[in-house]
Amino acid sequence: MQPSSETVIEFRNVIKRFGATTAVDGVTFTVGAGETVSLLGPSGCGKTTTLRLISGFEDPEEGIIEIAGESMVGKRPYERNVGLLFQHYALFPHMTVAENVAYGLKHRRWPKAEIADRVGEMLRLVQLKGFEDRSPGQMSGGQQQRVALARVLATRPKLVLLDEPLSALDAKLREELRLELKQILTSVGSTTIVVTHDQNEAMSLADRIIVMNRGRIEQQGTPDEIYMKPRTAFVAAFIGRTNWFHGRIAGASDDGFFRLTTDAGTSLAIPDPGVAGGGKWSVCIRPERMAVTGPDAKIGRSGDNLLPGKVVDVVNMGAEFQYIVDGAEGRVMVVEANREGPRLRTGDRVSLLFRAEDCVVLPQDGA
Amino acid sequence: MKRGRDSLPLLLPAVAVFLGFFFLPLGGLFVESFRLYLPGRIGSAAEAPLTLANYAELLTPAFAQFFFETMRISLLASLAGLVFAFPLAYWITRSLSARWRAIAVGFFVTLMFLSVLVRTYALELTFGAAGPLRPILLSLGISPNGRGYIEILVGAGLLHYIVPMATLTLLGTIQNVDPRLVDAAQALGAPGWKAHLTITLPLCMRGLLAAFLFAFTFSISAFVIPMILGKGRVLFISNLIYNRFSEIADYPSGAAISIVLFVVALAIVYVMSRQVNKRWNS
Amino acid sequence: MSGRGLDNGFRLLGLLMIGVIVCFLLTPIAVTVTMAFDARAYLGPLPPPALSFRWFEQFFSDDYFLRGLSTSIQLAVASVSVSLCVGVATAFALDRASFLGKEALISLFLSPLIVPPVVTGFALLLFLSHMGLVYGFARLFCGHIIITVPYTIRATLASVAGIDRSLTEAALILGATDRRAFWDVTFPLARTGIVSGAIFAFAVSMDDVAVSIMLTDAKTYTLPIALISSMRANFDLSIAAASVMLMLVTLALILILDKFVGLNRVIGQGVFR
Repeated sequence: MQPSSETVIEFRNVIKRFGATTAVDGVTFTVGAGETVSLLGPSGCGKTTTLRLISGFEDPEEGIIEIAGESMVGKRPYERNVGLLFQHYALFPHMTVAENVAYGLKHRRWPKAEIADRVGEMLRLVQLKGFEDRSPGQMSGGQQQRVALARVLATRPKLVLLDEPLSALDAKLREELRLELKQILTSVGSTTIVVTHDQNEAMSLADRIIVMNRGRIEQQGTPDEIYMKPRTAFVAAFIGRTNWFHGRIAGASDDGFFRLTTDAGTSLAIPDPGVAGGGKWSVCIRPERMAVTGPDAKIGRSGDNLLPGKVVDVVNMGAEFQYIVDGAEGRVMVVEANREGPRLRTGDRVSLLFRAEDCVVLPQDGA
Repeated sequence: MKRGRDSLPLLLPAVAVFLGFFFLPLGGLFVESFRLYLPGRIGSAAEAPLTLANYAELLTPAFAQFFFETMRISLLASLAGLVFAFPLAYWITRSLSARWRAIAVGFFVTLMFLSVLVRTYALELTFGAAGPLRPILLSLGISPNGRGYIEILVGAGLLHYIVPMATLTLLGTIQNVDPRLVDAAQALGAPGWKAHLTITLPLCMRGLLAAFLFAFTFSISAFVIPMILGKGRVLFISNLIYNRFSEIADYPSGAAISIVLFVVALAIVYVMSRQVNKRWNS
Repeated sequence: MSGRGLDNGFRLLGLLMIGVIVCFLLTPIAVTVTMAFDARAYLGPLPPPALSFRWFEQFFSDDYFLRGLSTSIQLAVASVSVSLCVGVATAFALDRASFLGKEALISLFLSPLIVPPVVTGFALLLFLSHMGLVYGFARLFCGHIIITVPYTIRATLASVAGIDRSLTEAALILGATDRRAFWDVTFPLARTGIVSGAIFAFAVSMDDVAVSIMLTDAKTYTLPIALISSMRANFDLSIAAASVMLMLVTLALILILDKFVGLNRVIGQGVFR
């Protein structure tokens, strides 16, 4: 479903402190109807607190939280019509699967017959028809997570919050359930916020990612923007693998590119940093945007960069190879799809080729 | 937490119960222990003069003897309890199948739950002066009414509770010791007994101390066991307190003994749990 | 001696000790059960030549015992009901609130477990006499509440603390008010602790001598007090019959505990003083 213009949640300049630490420090974002947004960040970045502020388990010190245009000040969790999928499912162990799914409906005073219909419908949605009378303790982790999802969606909440939805599952199951989760969320057209520290989860589930660090938002954008155009060094380092070069900007050259003189003295072609030069800068480039060529390669066209080096390790990851190359600029990783086996061996002399357009130029941390 | 405060009024009944039935009475006991003894009243008169005489009396050898006796029998029974409970707990955790282990646990929980009165009576019936063991005892030259035998009987009464209790306490402790450690010690050349002495026993020290604490505090405040099995010849401090009240109605003296027993019991718990926490909680 | 020889020696010694101690634990019980069914009117050598229920009949025809039994049951039901309510309320309040000195307060609430019961009983005797409370049942009632309430507090607290907080939060976010969430989630999940607390409290109340003996009067006394005074008076085997019945009560309590709570869980919640 395409995001519409209607705003489901508005979070404006929200501050939440716990004692001396500020868990959420002036966070502002909105989520539109039908949109899936991911709050991504390391543990302690404030994403879970943000989630708890939305659910009403915590109250903000400052700022505004509105759901569907209604202020949430003083509203208890049960007055918010928000669904929350807990990290460890939080299924009621003393109730059956059907009772768990029906719990929210009962408190909304649905008629009995309608509750039964809705429970059946929900269990069909998560492919657990026939499990009505099981107790959650008799089910696998993946099944429990689906029951929890059915319980959340049953009440048709205005907003669905997922707290690390797949982190309690093992890797293989996680991948399967991720696809299924996405399909289910899309099919019911819910507005969703996914809190996670796992970039794959964020990238695959979300229309938009909000990267948080130390209580603040570092960057918001589509998965593609976040990955290809990180706006801070933190975002670049947190999401995906990155090679870094550090140095000073030497100025623009005639071909429209800028030049960066690295700390080791190499001159690299980089895109326009957008801001006037001076100070220390970092350049990051994704490993899959670099190519390994023979040691005698020459720069073909303007905007190419060529770094000599020596292969120190070749790692077979199955679908891809990682070549670890040491050169004047330090250690660099290059990733290449596995099409016909490894092309290089440890000890080979090589050149690394990459385009200026693929580099992202960022002011150095603390500069 | 803001919401937690709403539930604080729920504490009021407990506060009332503990104040009215426990802390105020203990405070009253403390005051009473300094009152001068005037025969023939329940509790001293409010205007009775204050005195230290009730405590001074406890320092006389005749009284100190009771304290000493209580401590000695309690200590021996507690140690004996550990000596028997340890192999028992070890055997249950390491040699029994899951099914038999469950049965053994049920058995010891039942034994521990057993009424103190019932177990004391059963011991008296079995080992007492009129019991079926009488001819055997007499043929061995042991007088079932001799002081030594009565002391042993009181100790046995304590042991009958301590062994199940200590066994259950030690089950968890021994379960937590990784049996591969002993295997490793043996693979390194230590004989089995030495491996246990240097690995199992030190790792169980915390559990052993906890079991000892339970056993010893239970023993020094025991009442029914010495009352019945001691036949008036072996008296514990608890019995002394009761006798002050029931036989001579000397309330201030009973209060003073109570305060001393109270302080001793608290001091033992405090010192021992501090030791345990200091050594294992870092 | 070789290491192996020593090992076998120790193993043998251990097994011997286990055998001795299990015999020591079981023999008195076996003797008491046998003698309770002894048909003879006097204490004779074991085994008894014939079995009968005469001592049970004698127990039930003795008004002195029956009055004690009736007082004991009334007292246990009354005091356990009160201490269960107090204990459950206290445990829930303590679990939800966080304030300075909470741990100290919990220790205070559990302190009657460490104070020798005779001291508690004696202090109550003085205090209640001072307050002018002379009615026997009321005095026993006060005493039994204070010795049972730590058990109900502790067992409930242990089970409440084991409840995952996100379960309550799940109920709240699904639309339950705080009160509903308590009755739908917290209370049913704490039930095992509440049940074991009640059973402990009942057993403690039924078995108590040290506190009751101080608060008893000539007309109001509990079964243990009745048994103890006739035990000292004469050696009457109807006490053995009473003991057998008390053993059965213990066994029944354990079976209930195992069925509703599970014995391993009970040990975890602390059966100990």
